[in-house]
Amino acid sequence: MILADITISEAAAIGLVIATIQFATLLYLAALGETIAERAGVLNLGVEGMMAVGAVTGYIAGAVSGSPWIGLLVGALGGALLASIHAFVAVGLGADQVVSGLALTILGLGLADYIGADYTGDSRRAWFADVDIPVLTDIPWVGETIFAATPVTYLAALLGVSTWFVLNRTAIGLGIRAAGESASTADAAGHSVARIRAGAVVVGGAFAGMSGAYLTNTLVGTSWSQGVTAGRGWIAVALVIFGAWRPGRVALGALLFGFTLALQLRLSGFGIDFSPILMSMAPFLMTIIVLIFISYRARNKPSPAPAAIGIPYRREER
Amino acid sequence: MKKLVLVRRETPTRGGQPAAFVAGFILALGLGAILLLISGDPVWEVYTRMFERSLGSKDVMSATLNRATPLALAGLAVSIAATMGLWNIGAEGQILFGATAATFVGRIGEDWSGPVLIIAMLLGGAIGGALWAAGPGLVRAELGVSEIITTLMLNEVALRLIRYLQNGRWKDPEGLLFPVIEPRPVQSGLGTIWERAHLGVVIAFAVVAAFAWFAKHSVWGYELKIAGASPKTAAYAGISMRRKVLGVMVLSGAVAGLAGGIELTGTATRLDVNISSGFGFAGIIVAALALMRPSGVAVVALLFGAVQVGGISIQSIGVSSAVSGVLQALILFGAIGAGVLSSYRVQAVERKVVAT
Repeated sequence: MILADITISEAAAIGLVIATIQFATLLYLAALGETIAERAGVLNLGVEGMMAVGAVTGYIAGAVSGSPWIGLLVGALGGALLASIHAFVAVGLGADQVVSGLALTILGLGLADYIGADYTGDSRRAWFADVDIPVLTDIPWVGETIFAATPVTYLAALLGVSTWFVLNRTAIGLGIRAAGESASTADAAGHSVARIRAGAVVVGGAFAGMSGAYLTNTLVGTSWSQGVTAGRGWIAVALVIFGAWRPGRVALGALLFGFTLALQLRLSGFGIDFSPILMSMAPFLMTIIVLIFISYRARNKPSPAPAAIGIPYRREER
Repeated sequence: MKKLVLVRRETPTRGGQPAAFVAGFILALGLGAILLLISGDPVWEVYTRMFERSLGSKDVMSATLNRATPLALAGLAVSIAATMGLWNIGAEGQILFGATAATFVGRIGEDWSGPVLIIAMLLGGAIGGALWAAGPGLVRAELGVSEIITTLMLNEVALRLIRYLQNGRWKDPEGLLFPVIEPRPVQSGLGTIWERAHLGVVIAFAVVAAFAWFAKHSVWGYELKIAGASPKTAAYAGISMRRKVLGVMVLSGAVAGLAGGIELTGTATRLDVNISSGFGFAGIIVAALALMRPSGVAVVALLFGAVQVGGISIQSIGVSSAVSGVLQALILFGAIGAGVLSSYRVQAVERKVVAT
């Protein structure tokens, strides 16, 4: 890897920052949803599938209505609807979360391809335009990058702050965290573990669906196509762990992972002699390293992972 | 007012899982039919074609056997890990890296004779898969790092490694439009044994049978059973959990990696990212439906092989092959639902009215 003699033009640097923010928005929405589900004690490995369903339904709704907002809303509904299967099977019936979640990914990817078959190569697009904030957008550098994003980026930031607030400062959040740490304790405290967990999974699905709709309505250069999610749902799953299940840290992780995705496309443009494909492994390898670090440290310090994650809870009949 | 609740039966229904599986299959066909109807596809034609083109003649049955091969091995890999209560979500990556390792062996042994090269490549596949699973096994055994996440992450890494080789080191100089990896040596093709079915079918089912036998009749299998059921008992009996965890993950990876080697020498002519069409993920569903039993894995793999081969066939009548993925997932969800119902019964109870 040759790092010397890199000449980055200002335009290229601005392009890199904009792309970083776009990818970070995409990853953050999905990862935030998964954070909520996992904090409630439900691992949902269906993110890739929910994102795909959100991408196709969001694309179609946006293209037909001409409004990207309707696309985003329908994408969220699509993701939530698919997630409700996981809620029913893994929470309601108490089936294994790993199996149910992976089946959800297979189902979601299949459904998305099936629904989208007639829309591959469709020329209609509903675009999110960049927000133009008076004064702020005119600031050199900062204005051109941070204050020129689409409204979805601000929405994602708002959802991040709201999620943090709900989780840490409200009774519902306490219930969610209790369900994720010790379901029987939450139950004894009068929370309905099943309802909290199911709700968290469905909300998480809506976020993943929104992420998919944002992907097809803003990010990609083409319309819907098969495999458009390209493993980004798995990156979102990784991101939750990388961000230690905290909305704030997940946001920082989203920026870092978003940066690696944005940089991949531009390595050669910057004259950096490093394979973009090897670069694309970074989020996964970084997550493994972080996970090993967490486990190593967990011998003296409590792990940030929700203690009851992955464990189905069924109230004993009395 | 009455409400419906699930009540656990005193004794689980006999033959619950096969029945749940059949129920899941019927439910999947039903929901699939609704989906096809909504989008205006001919339901009957789709289903009959799927059946005819997967089980309707010797020729297509042999294609189904080929397809069932990696599914059975991936399913077995998952169920081997499950004997110790571990989740190997990384069979996909182990298949990919196994095929990559087999390709590497093929590049070294370009001039070797066919049989020697094939054996070397299959062994290379198994060793590659074992290596890919060894890391997650090691950190799980030593530090308790969740193998679910590490194996999952390595799937994506293996996929990108193949893309990297495809665009760099192993790029075929004769590839025209898109970068492709150089084809494997011609003499490394597995021979066919029946119609289109290749030798890998026999190897796969022999491996499944061998594991079933060892798990039941060997000391090693007995220790696994104890260690999986109760780690404390195992520790008391002097069984090293750390070594068992690592050993089981390595074996699981080797089985998945073998599938990669078989795919490369049996059905593919060169390595690419599509050498596994999601076999690792489908294998998890196969294993779950088979309740992690090797014999069940073989049966479910055959059925999933048929669904996948049938799914590809409906493309020629203008229906997306994605139907097959939808059906496979629905079979699982249906079977889970039916499985729960077979150990529970729905009962209407009087809703307690809270005095106000």
